Amino acid sequence: MKWLSDDKLNRLRSVVSEPDFSATKYTFVKELGRGGMGTVYLAKDRDLDRLVAIKILNTPDITEDLRNRMIREAQIIARLEHPGIVPVHDVGTLPDGRIYYAMKYVRGSRLDEYSAPLRDRLRKFQSVCDAVAFAHAHGVIHRDLKPQNIMIGSFGEVLVLDWGVAKIREDPRPSAAYQTSDGTVIGTRNYMSPEQARGEVDQLDERADIYSLGAVLSFLLKDQPKVSKTAVAISSKATATAKESRYATASDLSADIARLLDSEPVTAYRENVFERTSRWVGKNRFLVLLVLAYLLMRIFLIFTSRR
Amino acid sequence: MDPDTDIGGPAHRFPATNHSAIINARSDDTNVRRRAFDTILASYWKPAYKYIRLKWHADNEDAKDLTQGFFASAFEKNYFVTYDARKASFQTYLRTCLDGFVANERKAGRRLKRGGGMDHLDFAAAEHELAAHASSSLSPEEYFHREWVRWMFTLAIDAFRQRCEESGRTVHFQLFERYDLSDDEVSYASLAADFGLDTATVTNYLAAARRDFRRIVLEKLREITATDEEFRTEARSLLGVEP
Amino acid sequence: MSKPLIGVILGAVLGAIDGLTAWFTPAVRDQLFGIVFGSTIKGIIAGVAIGFFAKKFHSLPIGILFGVIVGAILAWLVAFMQGGYYFQIILPGTLVGLIVGFATQKYGTPATAN
Repeated sequence: MKWLSDDKLNRLRSVVSEPDFSATKYTFVKELGRGGMGTVYLAKDRDLDRLVAIKILNTPDITEDLRNRMIREAQIIARLEHPGIVPVHDVGTLPDGRIYYAMKYVRGSRLDEYSAPLRDRLRKFQSVCDAVAFAHAHGVIHRDLKPQNIMIGSFGEVLVLDWGVAKIREDPRPSAAYQTSDGTVIGTRNYMSPEQARGEVDQLDERADIYSLGAVLSFLLKDQPKVSKTAVAISSKATATAKESRYATASDLSADIARLLDSEPVTAYRENVFERTSRWVGKNRFLVLLVLAYLLMRIFLIFTSRR
Repeated sequence: MDPDTDIGGPAHRFPATNHSAIINARSDDTNVRRRAFDTILASYWKPAYKYIRLKWHADNEDAKDLTQGFFASAFEKNYFVTYDARKASFQTYLRTCLDGFVANERKAGRRLKRGGGMDHLDFAAAEHELAAHASSSLSPEEYFHREWVRWMFTLAIDAFRQRCEESGRTVHFQLFERYDLSDDEVSYASLAADFGLDTATVTNYLAAARRDFRRIVLEKLREITATDEEFRTEARSLLGVEP
Repeated sequence: MSKPLIGVILGAVLGAIDGLTAWFTPAVRDQLFGIVFGSTIKGIIAGVAIGFFAKKFHSLPIGILFGVIVGAILAWLVAFMQGGYYFQIILPGTLVGLIVGFATQKYGTPATAN
């Protein structure tokens, strides 16, 4: 048998792992990225003449039961119609048996690569919370929230990606995507709630996502100059070890971020009198300056009239 | 996308079907065990030989004896009955057993006894490959894995050729060989011209060939993994997807 | 809080402060109560006018300008009635109008559409 050089070997490996779209309406363009659960490819939808992102799960084979469950989960996620949730356009099976999801192709940058002033980043984060709150309201828990799964589109729109390991709350079984892994815990260490890290995958609720959102917020605050105690308090509350101590909903977290941005008091932090005054003065800086200017002018007039 | 950081240990699943030679290697039926060992031998002899040469600095004759001795011993003494998929992959387990065997043989200083029934193994070719394509920066363990991947694909190509010949689809294999195995850059159009086909047919034949080849690679892998998780993990490693 | 109410409160407070500073002018010290009262009323009138203007027209620069004008006119009237101290009355009066104009545009509940 002929020697297989490293180059040929690598080529063969990519040939067999490259998706075969021949029986679908998609044309392979290029690989976009790889993760533990799957590989994402850029493909062209020939019918609609548009680019899509196709995620193919990293499992070499699949049972009928797993296939049906993945399709059902894709249907539920596809019903999450929200501007902040990347829509799933299609789900199907490749000729080689692998399951794929076709999603909107988002042009832009990931949150971990997005450089902007802190206020802008916090507004984007608020949009993420709103999207996650919407999903929770429809019984879907993301379970893998992290900056790499959040895209900022070219028009500043915020999209949460990668719902492939999401849990449908009404289904007590582990998600199909979870089952296709080699059994190790799904998620990303730095953003994973303690209960998720312990492998209590089936007992997870929305507060696991709250934890991850808090970890994302910590990421956004890291290395930023002049981060307020209030911002830190919000992220600490969201990432509390005990889930009962976290925000109950993503909407509550979003509301506190809104208050932070409006220089209003937040639920996560109890200000003392000095801090409250300082915040009020900071928020109404111009008015305070005007009144001070008026008082200075008054003092000036008093002194000049005495002379 | 960045690689996920996996934490936690693998959840144990029940073994795969009886396609697994690892499972069959524990069978009470000698014939079943023999066939299973032949499968394991076929998949691992070459990487094992090269590994012994590289890590243990054995000369080619000693490495040949040690390789054959190891597999013979593994069969006679049923080494693989203690394999537990929860602890490590079969590849790692086999390599560890191999290290133990070589260390023991060296310590005992015995004259190596060659196992029978292995004359068909082309050690000369393995030696030639080793000489011509020495490893550069890989550790012995990484080298073992790399050679195992290489050998698995080589076996799969051979199996694919045979199947195509048996099913009268030699054109499929030839197209696959010309496009995906050749060093020359060829286009679908040039292949179509050479084979007297239209481009669409070349595209379809190549897609079918790759699908079939992929299936064969995974079948071969299924034979030498014990559980579903091990199969998936090794498949991802084999196909170059980060685990 | 509505914009006219903000105007009234701020106008009254600043008007009162304005009037109280007359204590530093010995010549008019004995008329302090009247000055404070008059100044407060002036502030309230200015505040009402500027506040209602802010309720109708939402523009920070125009609101400030309107406040400045109202403050200056009312202050001039007071100075004219006093027969003097034009600079000491018009300057702070104008500034009060500016502050009330700014505050009524920035704060307070805007009028809701019917």
